[in-house]
Amino acid sequence: MLIFTLRRLNLFFFTMLLLTLLSFSLSFLFPGNALLNVSGQINASPEQILLLSESYKTESSIFAQYISYLKHILSGDLGISMSSQTPISVEIADLLPATIELSMVALLLAMAIGIPLGFIAAIKHNKPADNIILSIAMIGYSIPVFWLGLLAILIFSITLPWLPSAGQISLLFEIKHVTGIQLIDILLSDNAYKWQAFQNASAHIILPACVIAVAPGTIFIRLARSSMLEVLETSYIRAASAKGLTFNQIIFHHAIRNSLVKIIRHVGLQFANLITLAMITEVIFSWPGIGRWLIDSIYQRDYTAIQSGLLVLSCFIFIIHILTDFVYAALNPMARDNKHA
Amino acid sequence: MNLLDIRNLSIELVTGSEPILAVDRVSLTMKEGEVRGLVGESGSGKSLLAQAIIGVLDDKWKVHADRFHWRGQDLLRLTPEERKKVITKDVAMIFQEPMACLDPTTTIGSQLEEAIDEQLLSGNFWQRRKQRKKSIIRLLHKVGIKKHIECINSYPHQLTEALCQRIMIAIALAKKPLLLIADEPTAAMESTNQGQIFRLLSSLNQLKNMSILLISHDLENITHWTNTITVMYSGQFVEAGTTSQIFNQPYHPYTKALIDCSPKANIHLPTKSRLMTLPGSIPILQHLPIGCRLGPRCPRAQQECVQAPKVTNHHGHQVSCHFSLKGSK
Ligand SMILES: Nc1ncnc2c1ncn2[C@@H]1O[C@H](COP(=O)(O)OP(=O)(O)OP(=O)(O)O)[C@@H](O)[C@H]1O
Ligand code: SF4
Ligand SMILES: [Mg+2]
Repeated sequence: MLIFTLRRLNLFFFTMLLLTLLSFSLSFLFPGNALLNVSGQINASPEQILLLSESYKTESSIFAQYISYLKHILSGDLGISMSSQTPISVEIADLLPATIELSMVALLLAMAIGIPLGFIAAIKHNKPADNIILSIAMIGYSIPVFWLGLLAILIFSITLPWLPSAGQISLLFEIKHVTGIQLIDILLSDNAYKWQAFQNASAHIILPACVIAVAPGTIFIRLARSSMLEVLETSYIRAASAKGLTFNQIIFHHAIRNSLVKIIRHVGLQFANLITLAMITEVIFSWPGIGRWLIDSIYQRDYTAIQSGLLVLSCFIFIIHILTDFVYAALNPMARDNKHA
Repeated sequence: MNLLDIRNLSIELVTGSEPILAVDRVSLTMKEGEVRGLVGESGSGKSLLAQAIIGVLDDKWKVHADRFHWRGQDLLRLTPEERKKVITKDVAMIFQEPMACLDPTTTIGSQLEEAIDEQLLSGNFWQRRKQRKKSIIRLLHKVGIKKHIECINSYPHQLTEALCQRIMIAIALAKKPLLLIADEPTAAMESTNQGQIFRLLSSLNQLKNMSILLISHDLENITHWTNTITVMYSGQFVEAGTTSQIFNQPYHPYTKALIDCSPKANIHLPTKSRLMTLPGSIPILQHLPIGCRLGPRCPRAQQECVQAPKVTNHHGHQVSCHFSLKGSK
């Protein structure tokens, strides 16, 4: 297990190196002055520019420039936004938790609904239930997310006024910013209207989370179905059945765990996909997250924000990837042993 | 009374165009306390037959039999679920690849515990747990595993193939079966381990009166341990009889070739002279010959062999051949 952890850390280190290199080179690739792109100080006086070029070492070799860029990032300085002139780290710290919250709820929804449906389809292989679930998966996968988002608002917010269509929580509630994850913050707060606030926030998150979860959920249906089918064909399932275990015992004691092992490997990959959907959905539902902010930055050609935002988002995706690797190792004893890791 | 009595069991592979008859009307009987060898080249359908008996073939295989009796009970009258319940209560099976037959994500201990019959336990939850622990340790000792603590806490991939095979045997013994089907229990094992496994099986046979269906592709390897032998070729019944009938006086050309090519039967030959074997190799499922499937390789084949031969019985020695060696002697 130690070696497994070390390997993941190693991987993390090198990926971070590559990501920062990429984001560093973006400041040269974007139009305009590289120094202004990386710092975002478009209104700086000549003296300030001089100071800036000192701190980013623009006169030295490219390698020294990269090192000083790394130093800036590690000290939490991502530059300031070209359009709003506030530090990007502050903006991101404000917005990223909302995206984490939304994407996590969506991921859990997609897994909690997709995986069991996939298992049911596999168990009822070639029966009507299987075909129905597969067709649903096919339809769900082929619906474009922005159309689905607008449709969801039209149906559940306008025609049937059940759920709010925009924002994270009603403005009536005042929640202290602790972790940034709103649902957790509400539970942590000692507000008298805690439960109303929680209900309100849940009502706000359900619609966008469902819209995001549809496409990944259908992918989980197919992944779960094919991995369960694969597991049901294996010799150990046949041997378990020869032991005299009932079908339910076989499914619950052996098949589910082994299929989950196969599925978990793909979660990290699906998560990158899900974040893209979340960005679009944040725009539709006016969700105060980093995706909407990043898309706005692209419209405003705020290169500093684009560069740093991409870096932070890819970091986040990568961390999730590593976390799923650990879940995978927890489920699969073979991965824990160094020989097979 | 026969323990197991199977008449004309066929197994079809149902794929796209037309079904393939992988096992073609094979009959098999087992008496109580008997050790029967089931012999045939690789690919002759031995494992399929064994899996059909225990009822674990998946949907793409269709099994049909004229008669399927277990201790006098007609299992064909039951639904597949009921049949499987009856069979798995008293019949245990050791599969061909022991490592692949253990769940890779579950410890050996809990896989053993699952096999323990709940009805043999008594008392409350804690007492049952203790009894279960005790009985799995007893089982491991029985199959010759002394380091039971390490074993219980291991996962299959941490153990050797031979150890996994012993654990499979332990799992099979947990329900005190009347019949044990052992599918190549000693494949991929060194000869010392092979001997130990065979001795273990034979002692179980003698002490517990457990019948054993011993499957092997190597006739010579098992003759020492069996009372009776059934030979199969390419999914067809070839010959059945007592071990001495089969070994000393085979009636079927295929059995004769099998025996002639084993080194033991050739001790009297000068060294380095060629062993007698049949030309060619076993046909694949997609290209099965009609009639007697040995036809293309058989030294005695004639026109009639395009019709599948009927089984004839000579004092309990059954053979399925138009021109059996019985007639020539
Ligand atoms: N899952 C499967 N799908 C398709 N064909 C199969 C499958 N399993 C077995 N067969 C075919 O069925 C035939 C009989 O297989 P079987 O495993 O019963 O042979 P066997 O006598 O046990 O041989 P071995 O000594 O190699 O174990 C073979 O021709 C094999 O190719
Ligand atoms: S029936 Fe014919 S082909 Fe088949 S074994 Fe006998 S002689 Fe050979
Ligand atoms: Mg086999």
